[in-house]
Amino acid sequence: MRLTAPEVEHCEHASEGSLSRRALIGAGALGAIASVPLAGRVFRLGDALGSPSKAQDVKILQLVLQVEYTQVAFYSQALAHGALEGELRDFARTALAHERQHLAAVRNALGAKAGGKPTFDFGARIRSPKAFMRAAIDLEDTAVAGYNGQAANLTKGTLAVAAEIVSVEARHAAWVRAIAGEVAAPDAVDQPMSAQQAAAGLHALGVSS
Amino acid sequence: MSTESFDRFLTAVDRDGALAETRARAETTTRRGLLGWTLAGAGTLVLARTADARAAGLSASDVDILNYALVLEYLQSSFYTEAERSGALTGKTATAARVVGATERAHVKAFLDLLKSQAVKRPTFDFQGTTEQQRPFLKTAVALEDLAVAAYKGQAPKLKSNAVLAAAVGIHSVEARHAAWMRALFGITPAVNAFDKPASRSSVNGIVTSTHFIVAKPKMRGRGKPSFTG
Amino acid sequence: MALAAAALAGLLSAGLGASHRDKQMTASTGLGGLRASPTPALRIGRPQRLSSGRYVSRWTVVRRPTLAHARPSVRSAAVAELATSAPEGTPNLLTVLRARPGADRRLWVEVRLPTLPNGSVGWVPRQSLGPYQAVETHLVVDRTRLRASLYRAGRMVFSAPVGVGTDAWPTPAGEFTVRSQLTRYASPFYGPIAFGTTARSAVLTDWPDGGFVGIHGTNAPELLPGHVSHGCIRLRNGDLLRLARVMPIGTPVTIR
Repeated sequence: MRLTAPEVEHCEHASEGSLSRRALIGAGALGAIASVPLAGRVFRLGDALGSPSKAQDVKILQLVLQVEYTQVAFYSQALAHGALEGELRDFARTALAHERQHLAAVRNALGAKAGGKPTFDFGARIRSPKAFMRAAIDLEDTAVAGYNGQAANLTKGTLAVAAEIVSVEARHAAWVRAIAGEVAAPDAVDQPMSAQQAAAGLHALGVSS
Repeated sequence: MSTESFDRFLTAVDRDGALAETRARAETTTRRGLLGWTLAGAGTLVLARTADARAAGLSASDVDILNYALVLEYLQSSFYTEAERSGALTGKTATAARVVGATERAHVKAFLDLLKSQAVKRPTFDFQGTTEQQRPFLKTAVALEDLAVAAYKGQAPKLKSNAVLAAAVGIHSVEARHAAWMRALFGITPAVNAFDKPASRSSVNGIVTSTHFIVAKPKMRGRGKPSFTG
Repeated sequence: MALAAAALAGLLSAGLGASHRDKQMTASTGLGGLRASPTPALRIGRPQRLSSGRYVSRWTVVRRPTLAHARPSVRSAAVAELATSAPEGTPNLLTVLRARPGADRRLWVEVRLPTLPNGSVGWVPRQSLGPYQAVETHLVVDRTRLRASLYRAGRMVFSAPVGVGTDAWPTPAGEFTVRSQLTRYASPFYGPIAFGTTARSAVLTDWPDGGFVGIHGTNAPELLPGHVSHGCIRLRNGDLLRLARVMPIGTPVTIR
């Protein structure tokens, strides 16, 4: 069944560059802090905290794009390296196929706005089965937590699509934990991650934008 | 997941015919009331009570959705509890039933803590042997977990409260982990498609009804003069 | 910009949301302006492990008339006919012991039978049975000490003196089940509530409705404790009402 990616309207008032600058000034993500004095100016957060909007969907999908780029790269590099065998290799192949479809859907949704692919240095993580499993678990868990963290920030249409993806990432995580001999679902609830935490999670796995 | 796709799913996994037999038996069971049983409303997820008051400042529609999810959590928790108590499960399957059951029971508790007097009561479940043998248990667990994932997914965009949405997504992804786990134990692929589809409430209702797991509570109290030996 | 990025990183790492993956962040993600995830409305607590199963007893009801067999096979001897209702008009309750696939690959269940000799068990097809329910209570009736005690998860929560059967009409020993609760009858002889059990008098076999042993009240409390009945277990009415508050239907009964 073909995924129908959400239509994203062209945003006139907020280019990516200006969003980045606003982010660096520290508005918005700090729910508990009303204003931030920086460089001699006070920046109020109220106007930066966003209700769901198409523009905000775009911003969030850019992070999602980074996650999916990372997953595609991680699984393809690991498979290409050739250290995976048996059920672990089957897992990686299936996960790669899924992530490619996710990536295509998100890129399609972003259209010309899609950000570029980050650079990857996965190092040892793709060289041994054990390191691969650990990194796969972290990557999939980060994807789940990142998606969950943005659920309330997405428009309902994008939320519905994101929901179709996040459960597949969660299945991947449980699958590879099971292969690793770990309890496949150790927690009763999945904690969310903020966008920054998710980005940091990717960074810790060898991703740099 | 439509009823047709659930049927295809059952066919695909029903290697020893246990599930097909269960459904065939269910279909030939008449709805004639057995002595002391009332079958009114049995087997459906249509809730007689919709919230007309508010639990913890939630909207009536969110309370309604939460109660719908609660029935699915009751279904899962009762299923795992009964399976663990049956003593029929071994090895990794027994471990999974313990861990997943403990999680579903925690979910039920959280729902009850939030909904309080607004919570629907736990239905009576007849699991028809699926808690008493390992293969039927796994088949059923896969079906129930996949169903829970699809059900939560179907409702998430309809929630009014962001706090409830935050709770729902955190549970939804855990149910997906459960589904993958049970699938792996059963020997089928933990993640079939790149995109998991939502299920509408009516289709979930239909699927649950078709299992005939929800039954009327037997009425064990009677009236009339005892004829015991005295 | 480097100063702002560092300040942001510092503020972010100051305890916003517990995450064991809270590591240094990349500065150029452009992700400011996104609200933090709200506190979830459902607070999921610790996983709920089941308590020990050693006090759990399961019961079910006969869903459709069936024969109970000596072994999980229709080719073994039929040992009882089971109707859907007990003589007292309530669903026919059976304690479930264990389940096994039979020769026919269907699941069969071993149940306690409400037949003579007391203590009989038999196998029925799972499909003949209804929903399973579980209790953690256990009633122990001591015919020598003339006491009935109720245990919940192994702890005694009720105890009271009882009347039991005389030597001529003894209350039988063995493992039985509370299977019904009758009220709304006017009979001071039985008191306010009468519980039906699966125990049967071995001597009053011609008694109407099979000679089942009940647990009920009395209009002659002065006789208790004592060997005074035709087999029934009698309690003073006040004790019976207390017992009714803690003893669910399906509670197994051990009569010593």
